Amino acid sequence: MATDLARTQRQNGFWREMLNGWMSILTEPNLDAFRAQKTRADPLKTVLGVGLLGLVLGLWALAIKPAALVTGMGTEAALVELMRMIFFAETDFFILSLLIFFIARGFGGIGSFSQQSYLLSLVIVPLGMIITAFLFVGEKLGLTLTAVLDPLSPVGVVGVVVILLALYGFLLLLFALQAAHEMKSSAVFYTLGAPFLAWGIFRVASMFIVGEENVITTQWFFIAEQWTKGTAQELLMGHLWLVAFSVSIAIVLGVTIGVFITWPARKPKLSHLSILIPLVLFLLLWAASSGLLGEGMADQIMSTAKDWSRSLKRIDNLYFGPLLEIVAAIIAKPAAVGMIIAVFIVILYALFLAGEVASDLTLYVAGIILTIPSVALFGAMIKPLGIGPFNAAFALILYAQLPILRNTYTGIKAVMPEIIEAGRGMGMTEGQLLLKVKLPMAVPVIMTGVRVSIVMLIGIASIAAYIGNDTLGRYIFEGIYRAQEKRYYAGAILVAILALAVDYFLGWLQDRLTPEGLKGRREAA
Amino acid sequence: MIKFENVTKIYPGMSSPAVDNLSFTVPTGEICTIVGPSGCGKTTAMKLVNRLIDATDGAIHVLDERDEMSNVLEMDPIQLRRSIGYIIQQIGLFPHRTILENIGTVPQLLDWDEARIRHRAEELVTMMNMPVDFLERYPHELSGGQRQRIGVARGMATDPPVMLMDEPFGAIDPINRNILQNEFLRLQQEIKKTILFVTHDIDEAIKMGDKICILNVGGLLEQYDSPANILAYPANEFVEDFVGADRALKRLNLVRVEEVMNSRPPLLQATQDVEQAVGFMTEKKIRFAYVVDSAQTLKGYVRVKDLKGKTGWVEEYLEPAATSIQLTTNLKDALSEMLVVDYANVCVVDGQNRVRGLIDTKMIHESVIESNAVAEGEEV
Repeated sequence: MATDLARTQRQNGFWREMLNGWMSILTEPNLDAFRAQKTRADPLKTVLGVGLLGLVLGLWALAIKPAALVTGMGTEAALVELMRMIFFAETDFFILSLLIFFIARGFGGIGSFSQQSYLLSLVIVPLGMIITAFLFVGEKLGLTLTAVLDPLSPVGVVGVVVILLALYGFLLLLFALQAAHEMKSSAVFYTLGAPFLAWGIFRVASMFIVGEENVITTQWFFIAEQWTKGTAQELLMGHLWLVAFSVSIAIVLGVTIGVFITWPARKPKLSHLSILIPLVLFLLLWAASSGLLGEGMADQIMSTAKDWSRSLKRIDNLYFGPLLEIVAAIIAKPAAVGMIIAVFIVILYALFLAGEVASDLTLYVAGIILTIPSVALFGAMIKPLGIGPFNAAFALILYAQLPILRNTYTGIKAVMPEIIEAGRGMGMTEGQLLLKVKLPMAVPVIMTGVRVSIVMLIGIASIAAYIGNDTLGRYIFEGIYRAQEKRYYAGAILVAILALAVDYFLGWLQDRLTPEGLKGRREAA
Repeated sequence: MIKFENVTKIYPGMSSPAVDNLSFTVPTGEICTIVGPSGCGKTTAMKLVNRLIDATDGAIHVLDERDEMSNVLEMDPIQLRRSIGYIIQQIGLFPHRTILENIGTVPQLLDWDEARIRHRAEELVTMMNMPVDFLERYPHELSGGQRQRIGVARGMATDPPVMLMDEPFGAIDPINRNILQNEFLRLQQEIKKTILFVTHDIDEAIKMGDKICILNVGGLLEQYDSPANILAYPANEFVEDFVGADRALKRLNLVRVEEVMNSRPPLLQATQDVEQAVGFMTEKKIRFAYVVDSAQTLKGYVRVKDLKGKTGWVEEYLEPAATSIQLTTNLKDALSEMLVVDYANVCVVDGQNRVRGLIDTKMIHESVIESNAVAEGEEV
């Protein structure tokens, strides 16, 4: 019966039938069109279709060969060349199809090999021909990989069209496989993706093994070289410590402010005068070391500070060295330290009193700080804080504020009022409510803010290399100055890997810190 | 005991009071339900007791652990709250703490040692008919009804003499609410707490309260009395409207079956001779009779028409009884049960399924007429 049908079809114009198949797929690219074609599957059509594609590819190959070679080639040799291409097209296609068929079976596919091959050929043959045609035009215009990167040039347009067609073909292949095997769409994706991925991994791995220098490998070779020298580790540790130091302070500061701006305004009390002690001490430090209390005193303090700073810097340790350097840089500027801490004490006390009244203003200011370009902030701080880690840490602490304090604020505000009311009604003091109820329940939200801050700081810390910090950003700036592509790519890659790794670690940490009862809680209690 | 004396609360910036010159006393060991329309200040009135809100004027006294009346306004609010059980609507369990930690909240604040807290928590969950291993779970792993029971257990953790309950069963479906209400009433018979119970549902107020305090908008006390009296003698039109046109029916809620049943019903023994049984039923002019065994346990019933002209034992002709009613069931539930199974009379049994009496629709009807007559008589 099936052969009868096939014979009638052949009599009714076999070629037209095949053309209709291609046309239906190209004009109606959807699952149903493929399902309809499934019933017309015919091995002969598949073989002939693929052969046709081989022929076109062969013609293309002949056409792009150097003219001397083609003219020097006899008709017979040309025919052999064509036959060879047709043969390779057939074998490549069926081997690939067989491979996909077995993978699909592994994912629970139920279609037959013949049906699958036919449906795949419906996509590959017509699109392959069209792409070949474009490639032919492209070759004539001088298509290269670099030319494709400029999509506005005529060659680039051809390249972009070819890439889009290939992507379109990939999507159609997904439909074809789904129609052939009736699998879940995710399984279809894996089936088709697996060979590509395997090929990609194989290709990239081979590049590295052979040591082939190209766009993909050069920066990696550069990183490897820097790693053996030890420079990469130094910069990595410098980067990490700068971020870690700044974030630790930013968390304490941000969570404190975030907590302050959740409570109602308070009246100043006599006992609050105790903050005058640290305030006066730090103001004295500032006054003394900036010469307000006599030049002699200032000189004395400065020389002591420099001694301490120098002795710290002398300790040479790969792992803690960068941290010691940050501390050394801070010690070296006692006047700035005194002033900054005094100002923060005043700000914190003001927020402590104002509470919720200041919440809008605080969030607004923290938002504005985030909009200051980091290069500008680093630059502005050069005069009071000098270049180096003190300056960088100060800016990073400011930048980290918004996500942390905003999330602390919203996290605490989001605790359901009846839960707070229950705690208060059972006799918890406000402090107990904060420590036992509000903060534990806000931990997941606060941690999200901390994660955002840290990942953001890893990015900004690269720019701190601009003011002389030993962070991974040095590769980027050096790369720009020396016009060495591999250098700035290496810097960017390392920063990205660092950010991803740290974020992954923080995700794990967040999960550990989230109270057990808050996980998996979908509905409100 | 909780005693309100001319208590007034005016919120800052408001011209009219939220609670207006409120005076009433909840006797020790009783439940007082506060009920009223929204905006009547019932929750405010309750929160005045543990000073979540401070009264503007007047005094509230509670009986403290030393059996002395003390004015809450003179006590440290934190200590006061720890000494009063507090159970709120939406339960307010801490989602980040286990059930053990939730129940142990106040004991922990009072520095009990861990073993004592665990012991007390185990005692409480057992009291709530829940398995002890629930203590290690988290609130989100429990059903709404179970969470509510834990909420009640948490309020009772330190065995406070006074408890405040703010619509504790408000967020639960009607079936579970009924179960929880009954459980709690049974529990209250043992623990005998002095409870202020806020609700917006007059049926719940009648069911749960030994006393009902009906408030009007603006925190005005309209009537404070026992449920029976409020239903029989509403003080004014507002109370009458609020308790509803079906207050006669609601009174059925207040009467238990054992109070009106026929406690010496005509019963047959399973081992009785059929002829003798027919004679008994003819004499009593009944068409069917319930059958018990020697231990008075309900076995079923027999019909006269099935026995006539037969021989043998009564138990050979038994039909199973479709339902029976517990002694402590209220008349409303009994009536509803009888309507469901379409029986004219139903056996009243005790916990061991021993027949203690019989109740029929006529008895229920008579009890309604009786109380109506009393009410009418008093009013005229």
